Amino acid sequence: MSQPSEPSEELLSRVLAGEAPAFAEVVRLQQRSVYSLALRMLGDRQKAEDLAQEVFLQLHRNLATIESGRHLEFWLRKVTANRAIDRLRREPRVETLPLEAADGVADEGSDADPILRRRLRALVARLPPAPRAVVLLRYQEDLDPTDIARALNMSIHTVKSHLKRSLAALRKGIEAAAQDELRSPT
Amino acid sequence: MSNDLDASLRAALRPVDPGEGLTQKVLAAIEQDTAGQPGPPPARQSGWRWASVALTVALLLGLGTAHQWQVRRQERGLEARRQLIEALQVTSAKLDVAYRVVNDEEKTENGS
Amino acid sequence: MKRQAYLAILAAALLLATRLASAGPPGQLQLPSFDSLTGKSSQSVNITLDSTLLGLAASFLDSNKPEEAAARQVVSGLQGIYVRSYTFNKDFAYPTAEVEAVRKQLVPPTWQRLVQVRSKDQDNVDIYISADRGRANGLVIIASDPREFTIVNIVGSIDLQKLHQLEGKFGVPKLQLSVGK
Repeated sequence: MSQPSEPSEELLSRVLAGEAPAFAEVVRLQQRSVYSLALRMLGDRQKAEDLAQEVFLQLHRNLATIESGRHLEFWLRKVTANRAIDRLRREPRVETLPLEAADGVADEGSDADPILRRRLRALVARLPPAPRAVVLLRYQEDLDPTDIARALNMSIHTVKSHLKRSLAALRKGIEAAAQDELRSPT
Repeated sequence: MSNDLDASLRAALRPVDPGEGLTQKVLAAIEQDTAGQPGPPPARQSGWRWASVALTVALLLGLGTAHQWQVRRQERGLEARRQLIEALQVTSAKLDVAYRVVNDEEKTENGS
Repeated sequence: MKRQAYLAILAAALLLATRLASAGPPGQLQLPSFDSLTGKSSQSVNITLDSTLLGLAASFLDSNKPEEAAARQVVSGLQGIYVRSYTFNKDFAYPTAEVEAVRKQLVPPTWQRLVQVRSKDQDNVDIYISADRGRANGLVIIASDPREFTIVNIVGSIDLQKLHQLEGKFGVPKLQLSVGK
């Protein structure tokens, strides 16, 4: 889940006044979320960094449209997810699986089973772009289905359908992996 | 199982750190972007400026009137198109639920 | 006596004609207003597309895009699409009276129930189809889960195969819909 990172109204008003250090603070607060979303969508650190950079640049150009700290957070997630989906549609052969590289960092401070976490990340990476974005916005960014629908310009029914089908696929994937493990002697 | 999976997913999908340097790269890109933007246009003689403003306004008004009905029709059409797509999405999502349940039941029956 | 029988037949014919006139095309239901749900829902979808609006919508679909071309094909034989859908933040009271009013219209021989599903997750879906001389001219879906209630009525010549072609388009999930089911 994302840590509290919503910029305060005071910080936002400094950003809107054109204070560069204030914008740098916003980037620092939001970069984990934007970068992680990009990384798990694109499956490549360099591409994720490039996308995050583009998204923050676009934010800077569109600061006048930002209404509040909450709006800014939502805007960043929306733009990141949509740009990543567009990129995957343009370059369908992008390799999306070498996420093990990010595992070490992602596992910090978690009590859950590390093998299960790695499997889940690999399974999420195999979902098609739109359902993957839905799952990431729900479970990484903790957005509710109504906000996900707004962010991805989908109906709430499509969001719920993607969530149900993706969870079923993930559950099946975990069960299949567990059975494989039982069959093959270690 | 559902709650377990929810919790495991949240744990698996914790945001990761981009590492050092992303903020600096972003700030550098913004600096470059700002520097590359053209400055304000040079001031023109006020008479010409007023003439061009009046011409633009007249043109816009003329075009606006001529195309008003087209715009209204387009708005209605686009709204109808949006509603149609939403209706198809809702229908498909519900057919999908029915399909999944029937399919799961068949698999369970065949499996037992 | 003969005159009485004649009057009775005439009255019955008039009643039938009045009913047919108020019922709209075959396959179209009289949908209740669902007032009990409107105020309590966190999100609602109310779509009424009659044949004129469907034609207008179809003219704004781009035939060069495969997904929009497929949608255009689906719509080509339709006379109306009506959707009422309500989403709630907490479990809601199922609108029994309104649904009963709808179900009363969904009776044989005009309407046949195609599918009735009740899942462990409390996803309930009933699908009805109406047909005339072997051609489907109406489809009704009544779906509910603990936080959502949806009713869809599609009127006109429905080709499930064409609906199937919309899979994976417009964010519509891959259905692998078994048309014969």
